[in-house]
Amino acid sequence: MKFSRRTTAAAVTVAAIALVATGCSSSGSAAGTADDPITLTVTTFGTMGLDDLYTQYEDENPGIKIEATNIDTGGNAKTDWQTKQAAGAGLPDVQAVEEGWLSAVMQVSDQFTDLDEYGAKDISDQWVDWKVKQATDADGRIIGYGTDIGPEGLCYNRELFAAAGLPTDREEVAALFGGDDATWADYFAVGEQYHAATGKPWYDQSGFIWNAMVNQQPEGYYTSDGELNIEDNSDLKALWGELAGGAAAGLSSGQTQWDWGKGKAFTDGSFATFVCPGWMLGVVKGQVEAAGGDASTGWDFANVFPGGPANWGGTFLTVPTTSKHPKEAAALAQWLTEAKQQAAAFTVAGTFPSNIEAQSDPAVTGTNELATFFNDAPLGTILAERSKGVVAQYKGADDSVIQEQVFGPSALSLDSGTDGQEAWENAIGLLNQLVVNK
Amino acid sequence: MTATITPPVTSPKPDASPRPAEKRSFRQRLNTWDVKYSPYAYVAPFFILFGLVGLFPLGYTFVVSLNDWNLLTGPGEWVGLGNFQAELADPFFWNSLFNTVSIFFLSAVPQLVAAVFIAAILDRNLRAKTFWRMSVLIPYVVTPVAVTLIFSSAFSEKYGLINNILEAINLDPVMWKTDVFPSHIAIATMVNWRWTGYNALILLAAMQAVPRDIHESAALDGAGQFRRFFSITLPSIRPTMIFVIITATIGGLQIFTEPKLFNPTVSTPGGNDRQYQTTVLYLWDLAFNRQSFGKASAVAWLLFLLIVLFGVLNFLISRRIASTEARVMKKRSARALARSRAEAELTSGFVPGVAPGVGDARDEVPDVASPPPPPHPTAPDITDPTRTEENR
Repeated sequence: MKFSRRTTAAAVTVAAIALVATGCSSSGSAAGTADDPITLTVTTFGTMGLDDLYTQYEDENPGIKIEATNIDTGGNAKTDWQTKQAAGAGLPDVQAVEEGWLSAVMQVSDQFTDLDEYGAKDISDQWVDWKVKQATDADGRIIGYGTDIGPEGLCYNRELFAAAGLPTDREEVAALFGGDDATWADYFAVGEQYHAATGKPWYDQSGFIWNAMVNQQPEGYYTSDGELNIEDNSDLKALWGELAGGAAAGLSSGQTQWDWGKGKAFTDGSFATFVCPGWMLGVVKGQVEAAGGDASTGWDFANVFPGGPANWGGTFLTVPTTSKHPKEAAALAQWLTEAKQQAAAFTVAGTFPSNIEAQSDPAVTGTNELATFFNDAPLGTILAERSKGVVAQYKGADDSVIQEQVFGPSALSLDSGTDGQEAWENAIGLLNQLVVNK
Repeated sequence: MTATITPPVTSPKPDASPRPAEKRSFRQRLNTWDVKYSPYAYVAPFFILFGLVGLFPLGYTFVVSLNDWNLLTGPGEWVGLGNFQAELADPFFWNSLFNTVSIFFLSAVPQLVAAVFIAAILDRNLRAKTFWRMSVLIPYVVTPVAVTLIFSSAFSEKYGLINNILEAINLDPVMWKTDVFPSHIAIATMVNWRWTGYNALILLAAMQAVPRDIHESAALDGAGQFRRFFSITLPSIRPTMIFVIITATIGGLQIFTEPKLFNPTVSTPGGNDRQYQTTVLYLWDLAFNRQSFGKASAVAWLLFLLIVLFGVLNFLISRRIASTEARVMKKRSARALARSRAEAELTSGFVPGVAPGVGDARDEVPDVASPPPPPHPTAPDITDPTRTEENR
């Protein structure tokens, strides 16, 4: 009796001590061999189409084992990354970073390995130039290899255009908006024409339009020197005026962003045009199909974008400095973003390559299910065309807060009838509260 | 066996006994330590874990809240209580508090009322009892993410089920995701759907513990369904009610998932104009979108203090109710006792002390001027002295 009680006490004490003392051994950083491979962890999000490539890389490099984590959405991935970054632990060897996070990422760009140490500058001409610029920090360090990009074209609905007496052929549609010189004024003018003929709205909601308008400027909310420049920015204010005019003329359908009534708004003629970065094409198809529509619903893709070239989205593969195997991680990230691999990822996930060579790969330019849905539009060729001339805009620390929380609500309020001037002033009020006087 | 009952080392007064010079063996000392210290080892895991995952984060959060701390770049200036000051002056903070309290009331009150009545119905002799009892728990089993997805689409403004129905009967659609009050109702509906059954089961368990014979005797005395429910069932489950109310308060003030996922695509968490941004959502937004880790920590602490305050208030109110009740009970039994004494004196010259229980039993009976107590055959059984304990 007594004896057993004592052993129990001893066992409990040992257990309690074990609870506190967590041992964690670290493996050596010698080069991996087939018998004792180096494990590289990779964190991605959404559908990036890399899974098969990991296996291929492991086969070609017997010393490397890849442990991949894929987080469902970009938003959750950002929270995950920020938490681990703040904790200074738990980051993978290769971390996928979205363009929208760049304003946050650049604040801690010294926490990412300068990939130039592993030859990034020598190969930087394999990507579109602005992609490399986006990933270059203020000190000239390249912190990420570009994967996909989101050059924007214009989705339009043939059936609705025909009903309004507008041309339906995608070349003619591009010309209708002014081709390479297309401006937002042209876009709204054609919209008013459409609205007069049908009485229906022209675009889905103001938020996405504003997003495109700002991102295609050489300087957005911040000057290139990092100064906040909104209140007296006449360019932005003029664009806001155009947007407000469009909404006031009844051109906005006032849809819920990212919802569209389970796709119904894409099939019931709620709007006739839609801003489409490459990855959005899959979203449009998915929405139409969710609402029971198919290719006959009439969506098409034109090689034109109002206000000039614009980019929305795209990802980089980075190597956090916490990585124990930065050399191997950088090699993996580089390999994953080479032309062949980017083309392969495109066929799996529809992520349009930032790699110039991959853009003309038959796998990208050729026809596929998505192209069939868009009336056999040459999606790859159009997107490659649309990616030319995009500017890498400087993103300040609070850029995403301004885009989402300052102008987000105001753009939405335009759709519900708020006057343009009033909505602008509301935005400035929010700006002062959230950013200037934070 | 007797040897184990009186271990030699546990002599109560070591000084009183003549202390022998011989040293105690290691084994004996081990034994002393065992008796003295092993209980601490048994409870230690809880306190170690609590310290690690409860107390330490609380303290660390407080330290963070005293700094101008950016989530990514880390600690900046020491600002003392500046973050608390800034938050208490921030209209968005107060907006989030208003939303939280509003959603809390819209969910807690109907939820508890419904739970009590569902529990009361389940407490009766139903056919297929277990089936009904388990079915009220089903909403609780469904993951909140699924719940919010379903409700979010039902409450969709342009294409949602509810607005479609409203329009079908020629009513104006409600802006569930734009207007303040409707959005609170929509979110409260999700909370209610999920938690009503759960609370109902807890309350049911409490009701089952109310002795049946009280009900029987009350029924015999002519108390109806509702009278018994309000005069017996409800007072008897008061401790459980207090528990349920306090947990509902804590849960309600910490609400996050439902408003976060109600309209997940919106650019500002909690609605474009923060119509339904609750305090935890505001905190999350501060930390992860605006990267003000210091301010977020200050909000976390303010919320913590608020919950403690609510908890204490709840406790005081419920204790006050309970003690008022006890006073009333005491008065009633005193009156009843006096009456029965008087009656006993009237009927016989015999002075009581005889049936103290009868007075107690009449506590349960409605306080109407009842006719002289019928000589109750079961009376002695009911007068179990523990009964009054239970009722308190």
